[in-house]
Amino acid sequence: MNINDIVNGILAGDKRMIARSISLIENDESAREAIIERIYSHGSAKIIGITGPPGVGKSTIIGNLAPMLAKTGKVSILAVDPASPFSGGSILGNRIRMQEALSRYNIYMRSTSNRLYEGGLSEYSWDIIKVMEASGSDYIIVETVGSGQSDLDIMNIADITCVILAPGLGDEIQAVKSGLMEIGNIFIVNKMDREDSYMAIKDIRETLNMSNKADIPVIGLNSLTLENYDRFVKYINDWEYQNKYRRNERKIKQIIMEKIYRIYSEYINNIDSADIENENPYYAAEKIMKNVAGQKFGYLEK
Amino acid sequence: MESGKNQKFIKPPIKVLLAKPAIDGHDRGIFVLARAFRDAGMEVIYAGLLPTPEEVVDTAVNEDVDVIALSLLNGAHMTAFKKVMDILKKRGINDIAVVGGGIIPDEDKPKLEKMGVTGNFGPGTRLDVIIDHVTKRALEVRELRKNEYK
Amino acid sequence: MQNSFYEEKVSQIQKSFKIDEKYERWKNSTLADWNKKTGYREKNYTNSSDFKIKELYTRGDLPENLDEVLGMPGEYPYTRGVYPNMYRGKLWTMRMFSGFGTPEDTNKRLKYLISNGETGLSIAFDMPTLYGYDCDNPRAEGEVGKCGVNVSSLADMERIFDGIDLSKISTSMTINAPAAILTAMYFVLAQKKGVNLDRISGTVQADILKEYIAQKEWMYPPEAHIRLIRDMLVYSTENVPKWNYISVSGYHIREAGSSAVQELAFTLADGFYYIDTGIDAGLDVDKFAPRMSFFFNSSINFFEEIAKFRAARRIWATVLKEKYGAKNPRSMQLKFHTQTSGYTLTWQQPLNNIVRTTIEAMAAVLGGTQSLHTNSYDEAWALPTDEAVKVALRTQQIIAEESGIADVIDPLGGSYYVERLTSEMEEAVYKYLDEIEKMGGILNAVKKGYIQKEIAETSYRKQLRIENMDDIVVGVNKYVEEDEKPINILKIDEIAEKNQVKRLKELKTKRNNEMVSRSLDRLRDAMQDEKVNLMPYIMDCVRNYATIEEISNVGREIFGEWKEPKIY
Ligand code: B12
Ligand SMILES: Nc1nc2c(ncn2[C@@H]2O[C@H](COP(=O)(O)OP(=O)(O)OP(=O)(O)O)[C@@H](O)[C@H]2O)c(=O)[nH]1
Ligand SMILES: [Mg+2]
Repeated sequence: MNINDIVNGILAGDKRMIARSISLIENDESAREAIIERIYSHGSAKIIGITGPPGVGKSTIIGNLAPMLAKTGKVSILAVDPASPFSGGSILGNRIRMQEALSRYNIYMRSTSNRLYEGGLSEYSWDIIKVMEASGSDYIIVETVGSGQSDLDIMNIADITCVILAPGLGDEIQAVKSGLMEIGNIFIVNKMDREDSYMAIKDIRETLNMSNKADIPVIGLNSLTLENYDRFVKYINDWEYQNKYRRNERKIKQIIMEKIYRIYSEYINNIDSADIENENPYYAAEKIMKNVAGQKFGYLEK
Repeated sequence: MESGKNQKFIKPPIKVLLAKPAIDGHDRGIFVLARAFRDAGMEVIYAGLLPTPEEVVDTAVNEDVDVIALSLLNGAHMTAFKKVMDILKKRGINDIAVVGGGIIPDEDKPKLEKMGVTGNFGPGTRLDVIIDHVTKRALEVRELRKNEYK
Repeated sequence: MQNSFYEEKVSQIQKSFKIDEKYERWKNSTLADWNKKTGYREKNYTNSSDFKIKELYTRGDLPENLDEVLGMPGEYPYTRGVYPNMYRGKLWTMRMFSGFGTPEDTNKRLKYLISNGETGLSIAFDMPTLYGYDCDNPRAEGEVGKCGVNVSSLADMERIFDGIDLSKISTSMTINAPAAILTAMYFVLAQKKGVNLDRISGTVQADILKEYIAQKEWMYPPEAHIRLIRDMLVYSTENVPKWNYISVSGYHIREAGSSAVQELAFTLADGFYYIDTGIDAGLDVDKFAPRMSFFFNSSINFFEEIAKFRAARRIWATVLKEKYGAKNPRSMQLKFHTQTSGYTLTWQQPLNNIVRTTIEAMAAVLGGTQSLHTNSYDEAWALPTDEAVKVALRTQQIIAEESGIADVIDPLGGSYYVERLTSEMEEAVYKYLDEIEKMGGILNAVKKGYIQKEIAETSYRKQLRIENMDDIVVGVNKYVEEDEKPINILKIDEIAEKNQVKRLKELKTKRNNEMVSRSLDRLRDAMQDEKVNLMPYIMDCVRNYATIEEISNVGREIFGEWKEPKIY
């Protein structure tokens, strides 16, 4: 297997190659750039972001939604889980709830750890989505970490961001509102079979109205009976906004930041504290930064 | 609470699929392993109860794991582990390691080894022994995958 | 805000505890001085429930209202036992969980056990049966008869009980998802043998909540199984007066990794849920509560287990009386079967397991169990051999007839330590019950995965305690021997599967298939109407030799299937 096989595999929709390329993208910089180089102009998918607090039913909804979308196009799924801040390991648990749909409809799904990257996605989510897009997907559904109000990065990647909530979130709802209210293109209240679900819809409706978002829909879903899914699917299919510009901008900024960071951290690790021992740390730091910027990024300095 | 126990600083993190490829609801052990693997720095996927051997292999391929860790306590390992190995073979996949464990009589262990299922640890095995074995197998298959994209 | 029922109980118990000045003085002077002089074994003294264990218990540890919370044997709140004469009246039922291979293999094992003095039957089914699949389903390949006996149709039940008089011995069946089907088979079998349903006695496990929590055997979503339980409850209450239609089980919860307190709290919460189910079905609590039975684990921390059994009785009696307004004393009496803990038995140095089982069995008897299964020393290797199961049965017989343990009722009653533990256990359980109630009840908590997470957490902590040597397991982390010798184990012949499959094929050609599909159709119609009791319809299917999978599939079609919540 070489990089050409892998790229051809991606373009042909071969799952094993898609899977392998995603690992390379996550783990190997030169392979990552080589793969993206060859595929970045391929494919065009609608990217559907699914975000919301833990346990509201994001994965269940994806498990239900994917087969419905599969009727009109090819679906792929990316689901992000948090890493443990202590060990860096993680348990990727979103798959179980979608498994049935995956096997039955032959859908490619990938679980990934955020590897402590902040914002609700993983560092290479853009690249993974790109691979899925190049593999011929028409829809790519992305489930964020699910930490609630801090999962905001999805708005930079998805064409349509669906914020999932459920009745009985308690105090959490306030925190969620402050963050997620800003990014949703549609709000879903899942678990409509539960008590208080109509109250939850009303509450969110009012909050949206108050911030001049009366045109953003709030839809109640029952994921056990699939009630109201037709409305949800229609909304997604009718959605036309393209977020490609922002998506690429995010990626470009990310690449630049990463490169700068890498160079600085290399430099920081090599600072020889002996000569600066007696200096004012503020002054010393300034001097070092000017120095490195001068060497590495002469063009950055006026 | 004991995060970081038996932690291995392997980059990128080892990716493991934990699965019980038969009708077997004994999941206490597999949950212990999931936690232990995570705390050792691995990325773990648990296939849930009652997956078919096909689903196990599909998941392993789609998730591109290094290791499939099979656990059965119901005595069906000789048929169920074999099904998983047969499917892997049929699909020409030799760069995913398969390790096993659970209630496995001694006389079955060499047969499983021969099929390519290693470890086959039973009750009372220390977690560090298991983690070492999984790590070793993961590094072996990574060696096979090396340079493939050049 | 007003205290909830359970909060009120917690505060009552806390009020009954007081500070014991004599103990404090002794601890700070005599004991402290002595420890300084002689040294002492430093260790975190706790039990599975994370209670701090003192080195000494004194009179001051007894609750102030001891007489009231103890009562007398056979009297409310039954802390000392549900019967006035306990084992002087009748020894507990010795009931060994058995089943493997073909129905004939199992029939032979049952008769072997009866001939060795077993006093009740208990059937273990194989994995396909437990999940409602026939032996010829592709999923069943390699699993038929491996973990229990295979039953695909009534014909198999007829073979298991061949030559056994159902009116003379009681039978317990460990079956849950397809419980209604196996119950129907047992009832029809009795009828075919000419035994009236009011003369058979026994228990079907049927407790589905603990399946979602711990044993993980289900076919449909919880609501569908609960309806089937309601139907068994109503049918047996009306037609099979000596049948325990449910055995609310903590055993599996404990084995899945819970502590003693969690076992008791979650099991009782399940029990109260079924009480609510019966009441919602329009029955008077005093009509159906007396036939509800329980099933607990007896693990290795001797006193903790004894306290757990005593607390179980006290809580059940109190809640039935005070919260549910039961008036029939039998509604308030918690009767239970016990199994010693399989988890505590090791693969290493298997003979040590006989000792562990003995300790655990003694705790069950001292805790006042109504029936008992003792595990065999080859537990961690395979299903037990004839030899191993006999030693396990003999263990019970020695406790019952040699040791004198069964001669006195609740011999540990009044023990400072045991009484204190009993009250602490009770307090901790009420706290959990309160928490569960506030989460919207046990079903909700289970669907969310909350209970499962609590258990997985405790289980992982236990594993780490063993690895860190905080808990000792002889032969595993201490006194380890390098050269473990293999023992003789029971092997299930592959022939068993072939034979079962062949027979099922034959059955399907011999039976009246017209009748089969008609009875299945009638069942399908009945399932659509929530109010209909399904038992007679299932009995009809069974009588026509419809198979377990054919009947289960009707439910799968109507009720759908179920996927477990995410635990991590
Ligand atoms: C706990 C237990 C249960 C619990 C399970 C709770 C749960 N949710 O897990 C309950 C009570 C529900 C249960 C039920 C049954 N059980 Co059970 N159970 C056990 C028991 C006592 C302990 C298993 C355990 O959890 N140990 C603790 C965990 C931490 O250890 P572990 O799983 O062994 O895992 C360790 C190692 O084995 C190893 N390991 C395990 N898997 C893997 C995988 C890999 C890749 C690696 C590297 C290592 C590894 O690492 C772990 C850490 O050391 C065993 C006997 C025993 N002592 O082992 C019987 C046992 C497994 N059960 C048995 C049976 C028959 C059943 C039933 C079928 C009984 C019946 N007919 O109804 C049911 C079926 C349940 C089901 N749905 O599948 C038999 C199996 C017989 C056989 N294989 O020949 C056993 C051996 C008991 C016996 N002798 O009869 N059981
Ligand atoms: N009653 C009810 N339960 C639901 C519904 N949708 C999902 N659930 C349940 O909610 C629980 C959580 O569902 P998941 O799909 O895992 O939720 P999630 O948001 O992906 O969770 P995380 O990924 O852990 O943040 C599961 O037990 C589902 O069965 C619904 O519409 N009604
Ligand atoms: Mg999820």
